[in-house]
Amino acid sequence: MENIGLGLMLMAVGMITVFAILLIVINLSKLLIAIVNKVAPEEVVAKKPAVASAAPAVIDPNTMAAIKGAVNIVTGGKGKVMKVEKI
Amino acid sequence: MEDIFVKLYEMTAFSNIIADPSFLVMYAIAFVLLYLGIKKHYEPLLLVPIAFGVLLANFPGGEMGVIQADSNGMVMVNGVAKNIWEMSLPEIAHDLGIMNFLYYMLIKTGFLPPIIFMGVGALTDFGPMLRNLRLSIFGAAAQLGIFTVLLVAILMGFTPQEAASLGIIGGADGPTAIFTTIKLAPHLLGPIAIAAYSYMALVPVIIPLVVKLLCTKKELMINMKEQEKLYPSKTEIKNLRVLKIVFPIAVATVVAIFVPTAVSLVGMLMFGNLIKEIGSDTSRLFDAASNSIMNAATIFLGLCVGATMTSEAFLNWTTIGIVIGGFLAFALSIASGIFMVKIFNLFSKKQINPLVGATGLSAVPMASRVANDIATKYDPKNHVLNYCMSSNISGVIGSAVAAGVLISFLQ
Repeated sequence: MENIGLGLMLMAVGMITVFAILLIVINLSKLLIAIVNKVAPEEVVAKKPAVASAAPAVIDPNTMAAIKGAVNIVTGGKGKVMKVEKI
Repeated sequence: MEDIFVKLYEMTAFSNIIADPSFLVMYAIAFVLLYLGIKKHYEPLLLVPIAFGVLLANFPGGEMGVIQADSNGMVMVNGVAKNIWEMSLPEIAHDLGIMNFLYYMLIKTGFLPPIIFMGVGALTDFGPMLRNLRLSIFGAAAQLGIFTVLLVAILMGFTPQEAASLGIIGGADGPTAIFTTIKLAPHLLGPIAIAAYSYMALVPVIIPLVVKLLCTKKELMINMKEQEKLYPSKTEIKNLRVLKIVFPIAVATVVAIFVPTAVSLVGMLMFGNLIKEIGSDTSRLFDAASNSIMNAATIFLGLCVGATMTSEAFLNWTTIGIVIGGFLAFALSIASGIFMVKIFNLFSKKQINPLVGATGLSAVPMASRVANDIATKYDPKNHVLNYCMSSNISGVIGSAVAAGVLISFLQ
């Protein structure tokens, strides 16, 4: 009976603690987001000049072999790589 | 001549195996676990070393089985009672064998689970959680299974320490279950680790089963992206990279202040994550934490846990209780997460797919992947992976905090 009381107490304390900690983590994260948004400026990634899209991108032979191998495994040898495009 | 054959017979393990056939049951268990790990790919990284540890521990005369010290730290060494904590490591290796040396050095000290947590942290991306902060509260709801099974286990006659170790299986986090068991009920380490990892491997079976029982088709078709468009989140992250670096430092500090007993797990988890997020400056540390250290730790953890499963320690009713209780803890954790989402949906316009609650237990990322598969089965366009990852990752923190509470109250 004493142990059941202990079990009930652990259940109450445990669940309250878990909820409390995660609520703190959530609110702390919101605070961090606000601080980071204010203090650390947004990282601006310089856009690369557009490459002439007409010319197909040159794919490294090793990369091409890896892609073909993966397609081969996934399709069980039935698939064929016709074109590889960088998006 | 006959004498030589008798001595040869006694030298081999045959005499002991014939005298005590329970070893054969342990071999069968080891072979089944090896089959599940190798052929069925159920958590092979852990089940294979554990299964092999079981096999090694049960060869009579091999001295590879872990001998558990009693609550006072006493073990029998060649018929003499000795206090394990007063024995030096070379003495343990000499008197009890190499596996006991590894066990008492790496496991019993609680060294390996936090090391594995560091590796887990290095492999975890907190991005989905930070992007969907609101959903991470469901990681707390899913810990209810731990405490419910603790209560049930006490009613079944387990001591509170044993019941807590059994309940923590519901957290679906292997290292956490092992860490808690080492601290509270080390004699149950073998069956609890096996139950924890087996059920984690069975996540693709258990989650759909519980979801099918508790959720309607309409609920499972709730499209999170559509809900996001209808009710957009007010929080905008302008610099995720910096946020991801600050986050582990802040969380480790907060948890350390509120639940110091959980620091060894959460602190190492966050350290592993920090060295990942810093990027190229700490890439070598990240590489070590996520590869070589993690792999070495996994090998030793698996072998030592397996070696605790000697026939006399494993073949009893307590093990059966753990297997049943572990499943109950797992299923209840999933169910409580689902119910919390359902309650939340009653009061909110922005509806949440109950699968987000179902993934509140740890088992990252398998639980989320399984949930995503269920959602796309009902609506191929409804990808819930990122949303489930939020509660899934917070579940790791939640179960570590639950373990910290149990350890601080029961140790």
